[in-house]
Amino acid sequence: MVYIVSWDEFVDRSVQLFRADPESTRYVVKYRHCDGKLVLKVTDNKECLKFKTDQAQEAKKMEKLNNIFFTLMARGPDVDLSEVTGKEPMETQPTKKGRGRKQ
Amino acid sequence: MHRPPNKFSPPGGFRRADHQILYPLCDSREKKSLQCLTICKEYPSEVLLQLDPFLNELTSMFEKSKEKGSVWVTLKRSSLKSKLQKRKLSSAGESIEYRCLIRATDAKKTISTSVGAKDHLRFQASYATILKAHMTALKKRERKDRKKSTEAEKKEGTSTTTKPKKP
Repeated sequence: MVYIVSWDEFVDRSVQLFRADPESTRYVVKYRHCDGKLVLKVTDNKECLKFKTDQAQEAKKMEKLNNIFFTLMARGPDVDLSEVTGKEPMETQPTKKGRGRKQ
Repeated sequence: MHRPPNKFSPPGGFRRADHQILYPLCDSREKKSLQCLTICKEYPSEVLLQLDPFLNELTSMFEKSKEKGSVWVTLKRSSLKSKLQKRKLSSAGESIEYRCLIRATDAKKTISTSVGAKDHLRFQASYATILKAHMTALKKRERKDRKKSTEAEKKEGTSTTTKPKKP
């Protein structure tokens, strides 16, 4: 099984794969404490994307991916992910009703 | 076509709509009953739990697998309904409610839970805490050590000559 080297590529392709077939796509995480290895797999039973690592910082990135998948799977594949990834804040600030300049 | 057995579709057993794996009751034929016993040993059934007990069990799985073994966690979107139920709901015009099915196994036992849109944020937070607490065997980036070692090498290599500036 060929492992994907770039984290961002893995994330993009996994989300694409899920959105294409949300019914059969699954996300698997395997952790071996004795070897200090973490392997991530996303598959729709036709195509398989894998990522492996032994770095603690990748585990932090994996947590974000977990959040992405939780949101996608619980709410639906059409959910806007910018809330989860935090790239663009979706929360609109409440517009203050201004009466004009204070005089 | 021979399908290799995997932990999610055991031979001789069938998956119920709620993902519980069941095995046929032993009948009078000895061979079948023996087969039933061996299957049960190889493929223990999956336990569906509520969110908090699932998290507790997951924690204990991680703790047990520290010396050897792996922990697998699988996330999948599911409505937890059979095809028949889905057909009925779609023909009635009702929307099927999907949930996120989470399975965890350490090759000895399997636990599972399902999370809906309302509780996924709370679960996500607790789950992240558990992972952070247990995935401690991963290497931390030793940038400082790398820098020190490269500096030491440079010092040994170029004692009199100054470093040439690279354009």
